[in-house]
This record gives sequence, structure tokens and C-alpha cells, in this order.
Amino acid sequence: MSRRVALPKTAALERPLARRPRDHPWLWLVPLLAVTGAFYLYPALDVLRFSFTNASLFRPTYSYSLSSYASLLRSPDFYYVLRITFIFTAGSVLLQLLLGLLIALAVHRGVIRNLPGSVFTRAVVLAAWITPGVIIGLTWQLLLNEANYGIASYALTRLGLPKIPFLSNPIWALVSVTVANIWRGTAFSMILQYAGLQRIPHELYEAAEVDGATPLNSFFHITIPQLRPILLINIILITIYTLNTFDMILPLTGGGPGRATEVIALHTYSRVFNSFDLGKGAALAGIMLVISLIMTLIYSQLLRSEEAE
Amino acid sequence: MTTTTQGRSLAQARPTRIVWTRRRRDLLGDIWTYLAYLLILAFFIVPVLWVLSLSFKTVREVYAYPPRLLPNQLTLDNYHTVLRNAQFPRYLLNSLKIALLASLGTLAISTPAAYAFSRFRFRAKGTLLIGILALQMISPLVILIPLYRYFAALDLLDSHFGVIMVYLATLTPLTTWLLKGFFDGIPISLEDAGQVDGCSRLQVLWRITMPIAVPGLMSAVVLNVILSWSQFVIPFILISKNKLQPVAVGIFNFQGTYQSTATHTVAAASILTMLPAIVIFVALQRFIVRALLAGAVKG
Repeated sequence: MSRRVALPKTAALERPLARRPRDHPWLWLVPLLAVTGAFYLYPALDVLRFSFTNASLFRPTYSYSLSSYASLLRSPDFYYVLRITFIFTAGSVLLQLLLGLLIALAVHRGVIRNLPGSVFTRAVVLAAWITPGVIIGLTWQLLLNEANYGIASYALTRLGLPKIPFLSNPIWALVSVTVANIWRGTAFSMILQYAGLQRIPHELYEAAEVDGATPLNSFFHITIPQLRPILLINIILITIYTLNTFDMILPLTGGGPGRATEVIALHTYSRVFNSFDLGKGAALAGIMLVISLIMTLIYSQLLRSEEAE
Repeated sequence: MTTTTQGRSLAQARPTRIVWTRRRRDLLGDIWTYLAYLLILAFFIVPVLWVLSLSFKTVREVYAYPPRLLPNQLTLDNYHTVLRNAQFPRYLLNSLKIALLASLGTLAISTPAAYAFSRFRFRAKGTLLIGILALQMISPLVILIPLYRYFAALDLLDSHFGVIMVYLATLTPLTTWLLKGFFDGIPISLEDAGQVDGCSRLQVLWRITMPIAVPGLMSAVVLNVILSWSQFVIPFILISKNKLQPVAVGIFNFQGTYQSTATHTVAAASILTMLPAIVIFVALQRFIVRALLAGAVKG
């Protein structure tokens, strides 16, 4: 890189920096490509290869077969895990999006009108997002516990409602895990929507008001259409984040009771590292991989059409 | 100030009655906004407050019924127990070491790459950028399955070096995108001017571009320190020696050991684990919000 010497002034004037043919971008990219290639791309491809074997985590030899996928597709566990994952993901994405939008609208309005407390509210929501996932799981575990210190149960009793087995009933446990994930992820949607709201030209609302539109009209005919590209990107990103959730569930329910909260990431982990079944675990990981790739393709298309506009 | 600046000029042109209804509507809107704030704060603060409260309670009060948010008798014993624990301080140090090295390493790798993506024209650029983005979307859990095998063969399990390499691989893609965005925002004409003055590409980068990019680089480092501090699945799978664990994994082991007998200790350990992330966040909020926004939507 250091062999680049200063060109004579005239040559520099003719060829601005961006368009010089002697630049070698590869030199600048080597560290990035080496690290991500060796520690991300190669293992990702290797997962796919392993998914077509009967490998075990520790046995060095294996042979190629389709048995992992075949037995996965035959196993009722697999469909159960998919159903749990779907409910968890759909619930999280829907509510994170909605709650994120509502908070963004409130904070946006507050900031415009200079209401004290707006920035504080935004900061509190963001603080939840930067809290380590394990701690979020632990926190909700302490909150929803059925021992005396579980304050959620106590609150229900005070309201005259029956106690809810938040963590020991399969359905409630899934609800609890989803709520904890909404707590964790809403900030991300909020900050995206907030940025989106700031980009909507104020004149649109003024014009609508002059035409006699109610705030509700403006919301559905200006805010939502204007936010649409960001909403789509938001949905893709939080879907991926939710599908990859692992750290938060472990201390909260450990995937239980039974397998009631065993989402696909947890199931993959226990296949490989508890049952040492590398082939089947890799097949599950392969499915996760393909889902992320599809999501990325949609995302990149959205980004491209965003830029084209 | 009941109307916005843009709103006022319009409002002045209109009859007083409309101004009056507008004021009333704004006031009503403010009330709704504060009601929303109240609900939002309750949902997001109460869980953490409850852990904070448990962490200052004595055993007797933890199990007392009805539970109280404010303990009768504040005690720091739980924090003493955690910090005198044989492992816990080491967990914190391990996290600090890994987070700092991973963040600085990520910066060293991503900065030149981001600069090249921003300033050079080459054929595979678009494809590479999307490829890097695609990597970012893959769960670390997926790649850890084969990595565990390689690391076992290379004797890299239970090593901070091995773990940090995987952190680098997970952090550099997003950071490269982030920094490319910041470099794109620096006008190329500034660099051309430097070039005219006889600076080489590297001198231009070092003397002109980098100083302007400092806030962007700061955002990236802060975000990566927080992400590394929170990282769980990589050390959880690749490190099994207790004394090498970072705090995110350490606290999980801690829960397994103490939850049934000493909830208040687990609460104190949780607070100590989240504190560094929260402190960094509060101190450098501006940078984090910027990084978050730039990372997700361009422009």
C-alpha cells in the first residue's frame, strides 16, 4: 500500500481519487474477507455439507446420506418446534412493530412539541434493547416466578384475578417468552419508525389539514404510506433477530416446561450439543440458514428500491 | 408555544375559532402523549426496578409476602457476596478483555474495507456488499456447529483468541456497512483537494478523511463493545472452563448454582452485569442512536 506515491499535480486533477485505475481495492478488503471467509462463510457452507451426512459431534468418520433431512421431516418433534417458533416469531414481530410504532409516534410528537420527558422515554426503551439477552431472561424469570418474589403473580392477586402459572403452564410459558422478547426488541422498531417519521415532510400534514382531514385520516393516508418502505425493512430484520433468539430463553424457561418454548435455535443447539447428533443438527441449521438467506434477498431488494426512489 | 413554528403562520391567517379548537386539540394530544409515556415507562422500567429491589433485600424480605418494591431494610450484602465470589470478578474481567479486543480488532478490519467500498469502483462491489450483509443475517449458532469441530481439532476451544476471532467475524460485516455509510457522507471533493496538494491516498485518508470520520468510528466502537459484552452463544459453546467465561455466560452458570437458594445474590449479579452496558449507553447515547439508525436504513 505504501508504494502509492503522489502523482504530479496535473495528473491528479485529471483523475479525481474515485476514478483512478491504479487503486487496488482488494488490498483494503483482504482482512475483512479473510476473517469473514474463514470464520463465517466457510463454516456456513460446511454446515450445509454436514447436513447431508450422518456425522456425530465427536466421531471423526461419517458418510454422506439424506437420512438427516428424511428423519427430520418424519419426526413430530420437528413440526412441534416449527409451530412453537412460528407462534413466538409472529407474536414478537407483530407486537414489536405495533408497539414500536406507537412509541415512535408518541415520542415524535413529544419532541416536536418540546414536551419534557420525551428523550428520557426514548432512552428507557433503548436501554432495554442494549441489556444483555441473558439478563433479560433472568429479569423476566424473577418477575414471573411463582415463588413469593414473583411480583407479576402478586399484582394479579391484588387486582382480584386468579394466579397465572406464567412459567409452568406450556401455553403461558410461550406467552411469557414472547412478551419478554417484545420487551427486548421493541426499541429497534421504535428507533427505525422514529427515523422514518422524521423524514416525512411536514407540508403533507398541513395540506391535509387545510383539506379538512382528521388526524386519523392523516395517519392512514400520509403516515402509513410514507413509512411503508421502512416498515417492510423493519419486519424483515426483526423476523431474523427473533428467529435467531437463543440467549434470552435459556435462563427464562430453558425451553420448557417440557418443550413448550423450545424454538428452532434452542432445538438445534440441543440436537448438536446435548444429543451430539451433528447431522440432524446441521440439517436444522441448514433450514435456519436458508430462511436467513431468503430474508436477506428480500431485504436487499427493498434496500435497492429504497435507493432507487 | 402551543403550535409549531410552521403551524403558527398558517394558524394566524385563520379565524380565531379555529386557533382555539387547535389549541384545545393540542392540549388533549399532550395529555394522551403523557399517558402513553406513563404506560411505556411502566412496562420498560418495572422489570429492572424489581431486580434492583431484590438485589438490595435480605433473604427474609425476598421471600416475604406480600412482596414490597422498597425493602424495609436495605443491605449491600448481596453485592459483597457477588464480588467476593471466587469466579464473578474474573467473569467481568474476561468480558472487558474480550469486548475491548474484539471492538478494536473489528475497527482495524472494517475501516479499510469500508473506505474501499465507499471510494473505489470495482466490479464485484455490489455483490460483495450484499454477500457481507447476508453473512450478518446468519445466526452465530449455525456457524458454531462446524466451528466447534474445527476448534476442537486445532486446540482452540477454551481460548480467548479463538473466541475473539469469531466475534470479529460476527461484528465486522455490520461495522463495515456502518462505516461505509459514514464515509459516503464525507464529500469526495475534500479528498480531491488533498490530492491536489500532493498527498497520497493513504495520507489523504489519514489526514483528511479519518479526522472527519471520528464520530462515526466512535459509534462503531461503542456499539461493538456493547454487543460483545452481551454476546452469549459464542462463548457458551466454545468455552467450557469456568475461569475463562465472560460474564454473560458466567451469570447463567451463577443462576444455575444460586437461583434456588439465593435469588437476591442472582439479582445483585444481574445488576452488576447490566450496569456497564447501561453506563456506556447513558454516557454515549448519541453515538449509539446514530449507529443504530445508520446500520439499519441508509440515509
